[in-house]
Amino acid sequence: MKRRDFIKRVGSLAGAASLSIGGMPLRAFAKPFFNITANLGKILVVVQLKGGNDGHNTVIPIEDSLYYNKRPTLSIPKNDAVKLDNLTGLHPMLQPFKEFYDNGMLSIIQNVGYENPVRSHFRSTDIWLSGSDANEYLSDGWVGRYLANTFPDFPNTSSPQPMAIQIGSVQSLLLESQHGGMGVTIEDPNTFYQLVQGSEADNDPPPATLAGEELRYLKQVAARSLLYADVIKEKADAGKNLIAYPNTGLGNQLSIIAGLINGGLNTPVYLATLKGFDTHANQLSRHETLLSNLATAVAAFQKDLGLAGLEDRVVVLTISEFGRRLRENASDGTDHGTAAPMFLIGKNVAGGIVGDNPDLTKLDRRGDISHTYDFRQIYASILSQHFQTEDAAIQQILPGEFATLPLINNNPNSVGGSEMPKTFALNQNYPNPFNAATLIPYSISRSGNVQLNLYDIKGRMVRRLVDRRHTPGQYTVQLDASELASGIYFYRIVSGEFYEQRRMTLVK
Amino acid sequence: MSVVKSLARIPNWDRPAVRHVLSRTLFGYNREDIDFALNLSMDEFIDNYLLADASPPDSPGDWVLQPPKNTTGQENRANLKELTYWWYELMRAQGFSLREKMTLFWHNHFTSDFSTVKFPQLLYMQNALFRANAFGNLIDLTKAVTIDSAMLIYLDGQTSTARKPNENYARELMELFTMGIGNYTETDIAEAARALTGWQIKGRFPIFEASRFDSGEKTFLGEVGAFNHEDIVDIIFRQDATAEWFCKKLYIGFVYHEPDAGFISELAQLLRESQYELKPVLSALLKSEYFHAEEIRGAKIKSPTDLLISPLRQLSQADPVYLKIRNLSIPLQQELFQPPDVRGWVGQRNWMSTTTYPRRNQFTDVLIDNKVYTKEKIDIVAIAKAYSGSENPSQFISEVVEVMINFQLSESRINFLLQALLDGSAEYDWSTDDPQAESRLRGFFKTLMRLPEYQLS
Repeated sequence: MKRRDFIKRVGSLAGAASLSIGGMPLRAFAKPFFNITANLGKILVVVQLKGGNDGHNTVIPIEDSLYYNKRPTLSIPKNDAVKLDNLTGLHPMLQPFKEFYDNGMLSIIQNVGYENPVRSHFRSTDIWLSGSDANEYLSDGWVGRYLANTFPDFPNTSSPQPMAIQIGSVQSLLLESQHGGMGVTIEDPNTFYQLVQGSEADNDPPPATLAGEELRYLKQVAARSLLYADVIKEKADAGKNLIAYPNTGLGNQLSIIAGLINGGLNTPVYLATLKGFDTHANQLSRHETLLSNLATAVAAFQKDLGLAGLEDRVVVLTISEFGRRLRENASDGTDHGTAAPMFLIGKNVAGGIVGDNPDLTKLDRRGDISHTYDFRQIYASILSQHFQTEDAAIQQILPGEFATLPLINNNPNSVGGSEMPKTFALNQNYPNPFNAATLIPYSISRSGNVQLNLYDIKGRMVRRLVDRRHTPGQYTVQLDASELASGIYFYRIVSGEFYEQRRMTLVK
Repeated sequence: MSVVKSLARIPNWDRPAVRHVLSRTLFGYNREDIDFALNLSMDEFIDNYLLADASPPDSPGDWVLQPPKNTTGQENRANLKELTYWWYELMRAQGFSLREKMTLFWHNHFTSDFSTVKFPQLLYMQNALFRANAFGNLIDLTKAVTIDSAMLIYLDGQTSTARKPNENYARELMELFTMGIGNYTETDIAEAARALTGWQIKGRFPIFEASRFDSGEKTFLGEVGAFNHEDIVDIIFRQDATAEWFCKKLYIGFVYHEPDAGFISELAQLLRESQYELKPVLSALLKSEYFHAEEIRGAKIKSPTDLLISPLRQLSQADPVYLKIRNLSIPLQQELFQPPDVRGWVGQRNWMSTTTYPRRNQFTDVLIDNKVYTKEKIDIVAIAKAYSGSENPSQFISEVVEVMINFQLSESRINFLLQALLDGSAEYDWSTDDPQAESRLRGFFKTLMRLPEYQLS
């Protein structure tokens, strides 16, 4: 290692040494972790399809003869496909998704990829998880950056509940941030709880060496498991699944996640994984099994959330490192390709197909389609419309101006969803009176900057709740008043010439 | 803090140097092993022991000779377990040889997995190939791997034909096995895939079917010709990137997880000068000031295999229950013959999650307390008595730490261990003959092995 690199490392260690356990104070959250509610109770479940899912056989261009010509043995016959519209069908194993589609609970985004696509599993997976350009190397994940942005008190203060949970055993880049791992990796809540029994934290500061840096990492992992084993077990015990899940890997993962959500864990991001999509050979039967596993597990998950009345809060997103080549190979399989469709599923998604079927007349030199949407547009849309992350923050999480697509209806209380309001409105907060947390709905009819501030009875501003550019739509902002005193407060919205004020009562 | 970056030899072959070499090259060592190595010169120990050629071990059974079609799925699964137990035992009982760690290194480099290959006899042959070439010539090894039966199945070579070449092996050959991404184009992959066609498997062995081979002219990495698989490998080894790639993998495997391009270049230069013979490179590496630099000692996180096998030697256990050890290797994320994907195990911090770390602690607890991973409960008192300092708590702790911890423990840690050993009694009262000694010793070893420092090598 170079001297200057080493000095740099030592510098970063010295900074961390003042924190108690490698930057993970164990009981520092005596005061409420203010920002845990910053995501409005919304939850994102990412399902990673590892190996490169074949988009052409997932969302099928049923009228495209080029598709059938290039795939004499692997194509899905038009009559077998689950027809969505005149041009497009789903793989027969995705039959359960048809119901979502008909109910406006499934958005299919066509041809998602990025400039200069990389066909390496590992590099392209890193690109998708980190949200980087093809030639950019990032050591954190886009979700990790979102969480670091949403919970700025971390790592000085730890969230009382995990910021992210990954079902599995190897921590994903998706949840890495500049502060280290933001997530907890568990196989299931009970196993996790039992494993952690008997562990204890230690406060011995690691030495400022390269080996000491690894030791610090180990201590952080240990501290994280200690910190969250109890609450995960408690919420899992409190929660339940209201229907049976298919006994598959993904079915089990999603049933755990639904149980935790049902039990009241307010962790905003979950990661589940389905492996095996690298179908270079014998694709037909393998892909059938994989898509069947995906569809049955996600269908059970949605039904479960629906029965529990939790479906307003959750969206499921599928990601995969690339699609596959249009032309089949000699092994009854397909080689690595480029862009592919993505699924976004949930009660509040806008629904429908975004974009056209891939243009199979315009293939690149390798015989692959080009992308219509950059994958980060989908991420940015989720941040903006689901988590209601402000534009400035999205800029930091996903640098480079990614235009959002209308994927999620962002007011959970609106009926019909996509209808644009005709006037500005500031509605009464609910509940009111309230203890600690309340929601304030408002409508914006013209694009522009919106400010929504909270004032105490003497007219002093006590909180800036909203200050960002809005596009027309219905919005809700949550107020966490756990650090404010009981009493009457006013909230005021200002946008252009529009102005309105209401009052609320905090009773503790 | 001395910061050195060179292949210059270390001046002193002392205890810390010996421990560092042993911890990185073997699966566990004990006090006698340190003394043995220390009594030899560094050259003698590294060149005549660690890097010595040895005859191949006996095979795990006659089943390895069975043609794949003659075995059932159930037999295959059972044989895979036998193969794993056999390999574990080679690791445990290997003596002073780098061979098994290199065999594991190659398994993690030229990956193949059981769930795709399905026939353990083919994985045995691949494993034997890695062992025979553990520190041999890289060009020979790469050529042999390219037409290795397990590999022909794992990366679809056997189904690739001139008419429709399958790119799977060609891509990974360049991306993961020899050069690394950025040193070739997608066209090079397509052209190499053509040159690699024609190979199938008959019985257990690869055979060449000329009718499936694309004998046409190919343009590969700037060269033009009617290349076959050997030509492709030869051309790859004419690229500078290739020596750099192998040395980077060696560096990550044996030195430190963040590559240092400057030092890797020095190693690569040596590898090219040796015509891709590995032995001179490993020899120089293990004797170098760089490898022995203070700041990287203890900076490697043990692999699950290292964690599971090394305490057997540290604690002189000759009767392990490999079935239980293998079972645990799965949740610890290193099931042998089943790497997670073609890249293999990433290692280092990837080994450690909030799930795997507590599991490691549970393993060491159970190993010390119960007969699960060993046929008999470990006789902890006898193990303690074998240390010359067994009756002197402070000396005992420093002797045990020397064998089991590869990290400079702070004074407060040593004190913590002393408290764990004494468990409330006074230092001058300590005796291994005390009726309480057994439970105190078990508590002490469990505490020691639960230290995060125990996870480092």
